[in-house]
Amino acid sequence: MKRREWLGGSVAGGLALGGMAAFAQTPGRPRSDLPAKFAPSAFAVPSTKYSPFTTPDYYTYADDLVVERNRPGKPHAGKVLAAIQAHSDDIPLFAAGTVAKLIDEGYTAYLIRLSNDEAAGRTLGYGVVQNELDNQNAAKALGCKKAYSFYYRNHRMDDCAMIEIRSRLIFLFRMLQVNTVVCMDPYNHYDENPDHIIAGKAVEGACWMSGSARDYAEHYKAGLKPARIREKYYFARSPQGHNLVNRVVDISTYIDTKVRVNMANKGKGPAGSAGARLRQELLQQGKKLPLLGEDDEAANFQYVKFFLMADHHLFGQQFGCEYAEAFRYIGTEPNYVDNIRKYAAEHAVPA
Amino acid sequence: MQNNNVNITVVRKQTGQPHAGKVFAAVHAHQSDVPHYAAGLCARLMAEGYTGYLIRTTNDEKSGRGSIAENILSNEQEQLKMAGVLGFKDVFDLYYRSHFMDAIAAVEIQSRLVLLFRMLKVDTVITYNPAAQGDDDSDRVVTAHAAQEAAWMAGQDHDFPEHFEAGFQPHDVLERYFLCAQPGQPFNRVVDISAHIDRKVDALAQCKSQGGGNGGSLLRARLEREQKRLPILGDNDQTADREYIRQFLLDDSREAGKPYTLAYAERFYYVDQRQPSRSKVDDYVEKHAVRL
Repeated sequence: MKRREWLGGSVAGGLALGGMAAFAQTPGRPRSDLPAKFAPSAFAVPSTKYSPFTTPDYYTYADDLVVERNRPGKPHAGKVLAAIQAHSDDIPLFAAGTVAKLIDEGYTAYLIRLSNDEAAGRTLGYGVVQNELDNQNAAKALGCKKAYSFYYRNHRMDDCAMIEIRSRLIFLFRMLQVNTVVCMDPYNHYDENPDHIIAGKAVEGACWMSGSARDYAEHYKAGLKPARIREKYYFARSPQGHNLVNRVVDISTYIDTKVRVNMANKGKGPAGSAGARLRQELLQQGKKLPLLGEDDEAANFQYVKFFLMADHHLFGQQFGCEYAEAFRYIGTEPNYVDNIRKYAAEHAVPA
Repeated sequence: MQNNNVNITVVRKQTGQPHAGKVFAAVHAHQSDVPHYAAGLCARLMAEGYTGYLIRTTNDEKSGRGSIAENILSNEQEQLKMAGVLGFKDVFDLYYRSHFMDAIAAVEIQSRLVLLFRMLKVDTVITYNPAAQGDDDSDRVVTAHAAQEAAWMAGQDHDFPEHFEAGFQPHDVLERYFLCAQPGQPFNRVVDISAHIDRKVDALAQCKSQGGGNGGSLLRARLEREQKRLPILGDNDQTADREYIRQFLLDDSREAGKPYTLAYAERFYYVDQRQPSRSKVDDYVEKHAVRL
């Protein structure tokens, strides 16, 4: 069996936008036993192996992939974004750079956490309190206007009534007049955490129904208006993640914000105060790691940036970005009726 | 009718508007339930100052002579007319599928009722008795539990806090009238509805897809085909329906009033959770507090 590089011809065209050369030059690419007659449909994502919670193990790529770079001015002024996460560390780890970028470009953003994060903490009680605080602080670090928590029990969300979660999201989307959502991909493969899938599915349904005149009509009597949600950024979790990627967002300008958002996550996730803990551990052994700096704050920042953002750097390099995040992006639908009318106007002949 | 509760309060006719400024919500599963079991109470409370809202939880698709779709439409429209006759300020339909409400997540129904109770500032709820036995209709059982739990949750300051931001604050629903919808269900309050019986008749007359509101016109048509007539049914369908209701559908109301010399009454299990303005602690402090 002839061995070949784990890089299929089908993806090459799609990557032309973002830097094919960088992709091909990435060191340590995995070798594959896939026979030449097969075109791979999934691509291993390079990893430093510093943390499981960075980029997923595989991605599949659409052939019209777009690299979303910084947009000057405030092109999203007046628009509203909801970043929805099952857990306090989901948006920070997988999408904080993009959320920070969109806020900087004009969006008003809200952070919505669905679980109570009770599964991460010294006791359930401590976990719930710490993660509640973390969610607030992460929202602040991101620049969100407000954070919401629904407090469904952590790791048990598949026992919740999906329709109730969805109804609460519809209420919020209408109240906040959300235009764009960022959340876990409801079709992410191999995700072990049921909360992620439930969150993704609830958001997906809520996005569509928020614009409906007939769903939860009592909201309209309460003064709410339909929400027209036109854009969605769906991300995969790691280490086992596998979703279709058609948008790579260049977050190089926002990497320090992403670092600080992750530092706010002290109750769970790989960041928080991990740098300070490593620094103290080394000090007790009479050693120091120069990159961690001279105090705990610097150590936390450097730890997150050097170790936890490294995979976003590796991933970004493939697309010509210093740091990047990946999404299945769903944008504004074409105006199908207008297109037909245009055709009719152009081709109609006298009767 | 059996009743284990011996402390029965008879609410007789009263004058004026003692309930001015208060709000009630009548929550039923099927459009003919409030008309049958509480139309007199609703009319009376609104005459005495309450603002009333009607909430129907199902779509009533199984009730009527049409297709499932036609039944949904006819029940929806009849309920609007019935609510107008009784004087309800507004009607809310949740349209859960009739007879299948036990498959709906209870918490979702509760959440919608909590929003409505807060939004409408409901003080009093009228619904089925969640503790009563003997009802085959699971929609009523589910509705009863959802309404009772929502009445309690509506006043809590940690349930659905997103409502507060939308301008709807916690609101206690402290009075409950639970219907006697089946023989043997408990009651502790008998409400004189004699002065409002015409409203009840008018309300029932709107319930044509279910509830027997068009029983008179149907009977009149049948008799006509058989070359007969029943003088009490009068000369037109409208009269026939009303007189049929008076003759055949008000037995429970007459029966409920009879022991108390009331022409017509309705029975309820009434729960009042309003607290006295002075608590036991207030009284104790007043008696025992000393100067420092």
